[in-house]
Amino acid sequence: MDPILEVSGLNKRYGDFALKDISFCLPEGCITGFVGINGAGKTTTLRSILGLTNKVSGSIKFFGTDMDGNENKVKDRMGIVLDEGCFYDELTLSEMKNVIAPAYKNWCEQDFTEYLERFSLNPKQKINTLSKGMRMKYALALALSHKAELLIMDEPTNGLDPLVRSQLLNILKDYMAKGGKGVFFSTHITSDLEKIADMLIMIDDGQIVFQEEKDQLLDSCRIIKGSTEKLNPDTRKYFLTIEENAFGFTGITKQTSDVVEHMQDVLIERPTIEDIMLANAERRKKNVV
Amino acid sequence: MLFSLVKKDFLIVKKYVGIMLVASFLIPPVMLWRTPEAAGAMGFTLAVIFSIFMLTQYVSLKEYQYPKATTLLCALPYPRKMIVLSKYCFCLIIYAACCLIFGIDTLIFPGLGIFDIRMAAIIFLVITILLSFYFPALYKLGYEKAKFLFVIVIMASPILSAFLFKPENAVRFEFLNTLSTTKILITGIIVSLAAFSISAILSIRFFEKRDLT
Repeated sequence: MDPILEVSGLNKRYGDFALKDISFCLPEGCITGFVGINGAGKTTTLRSILGLTNKVSGSIKFFGTDMDGNENKVKDRMGIVLDEGCFYDELTLSEMKNVIAPAYKNWCEQDFTEYLERFSLNPKQKINTLSKGMRMKYALALALSHKAELLIMDEPTNGLDPLVRSQLLNILKDYMAKGGKGVFFSTHITSDLEKIADMLIMIDDGQIVFQEEKDQLLDSCRIIKGSTEKLNPDTRKYFLTIEENAFGFTGITKQTSDVVEHMQDVLIERPTIEDIMLANAERRKKNVV
Repeated sequence: MLFSLVKKDFLIVKKYVGIMLVASFLIPPVMLWRTPEAAGAMGFTLAVIFSIFMLTQYVSLKEYQYPKATTLLCALPYPRKMIVLSKYCFCLIIYAACCLIFGIDTLIFPGLGIFDIRMAAIIFLVITILLSFYFPALYKLGYEKAKFLFVIVIMASPILSAFLFKPENAVRFEFLNTLSTTKILITGIIVSLAAFSISAILSIRFFEKRDLT
């Protein structure tokens, strides 16, 4: 699979916070989840990619084309869904569309009308009368009506009810089914990624922690539960993080075979993306402290 | 692209556009009633300043209320340069509308005198110079701080125009009568364009450096 987006050596400083040497690539035909706790640098990274903040250094390539000097050409091939409050509330859906559509060379009015019908949105309705879920659908209709090859979304499922989130994920599946496309979406609601993501990238404290295929990542990690008596300085090294209480310990490991070999009578479970994300974040926090 | 962005500015202040059109129509006849000796030029100056600065201020207010909408526009293939230039075009269109309205005023109220191109050029020069300070200040300092500049302009404009167009001060503008209309026109346009160009370059530079949240 060819990379649709390549980010390398991206650095950016914001007061005390900094993006440090961010590098990753998004393969074509994949939905990539960008995970991390609040304040990890997800939004700053996305905004640097979109040229909304001035990066200190680094390169961003879209289908091999450098963003520097080709920003508008590249953006013409991207669909953007930012978090809430990106529209002028007093405009109607049709008026806001008339502001956005002329920016794109390949705007397709027919696609937009079909999306509005599919989402039961009235073009004459004012934006301030839309619910949070309807706003998200409207944002998607705008982002998907110009034959975008990459859809970038910043926390799209934040604050949405499970039904709307499920509908959103179905829309993304339909979009990907057309082929030759990619989706990059940041979220801290990792249950959505369990359902839909192919690839995961984790960021923490402005640094990329991992980029792995979701299934491979979930297969490589295990939750281990057992009595605290099983823990000693040697066995502790197998774990990314360990929580201990009066009943025993719960830890996450990437060295399952070592655990099985050296720790008998422990319970082994499959982790969720959230378990892995939190384990990595906590481990990094402890290392820093 | 530029046209769409200018249209966007009119759309977000559409509630106030009608009010400002009515105000710019009524200001000259009201001036004729209150200070008939300088009603024409003074009324037109006030109408232009109020219309342009009030509508520009409303646009800035809306953009201040919805900062993420500007972020979204910049995430689209709209160059930031175009977003800045659209503001200047927005003002030029309002100025053109004010000229048209004042032209109609002079036909309805003969006491306002004749609306000649010389007056249009001089007022255009005044407006472009004021805007040439306002926009870079807006992009550099932000809406809240630039608002003070706007308040100063709005509060000073009646006093300044009353002073400038008083008969006893007319001597100071006598030199204008010695110049031909063509010279005033060419000088006014050259200075206005130069001020606007320098101002636009500064505004674009400030806006391109800004990190959008």
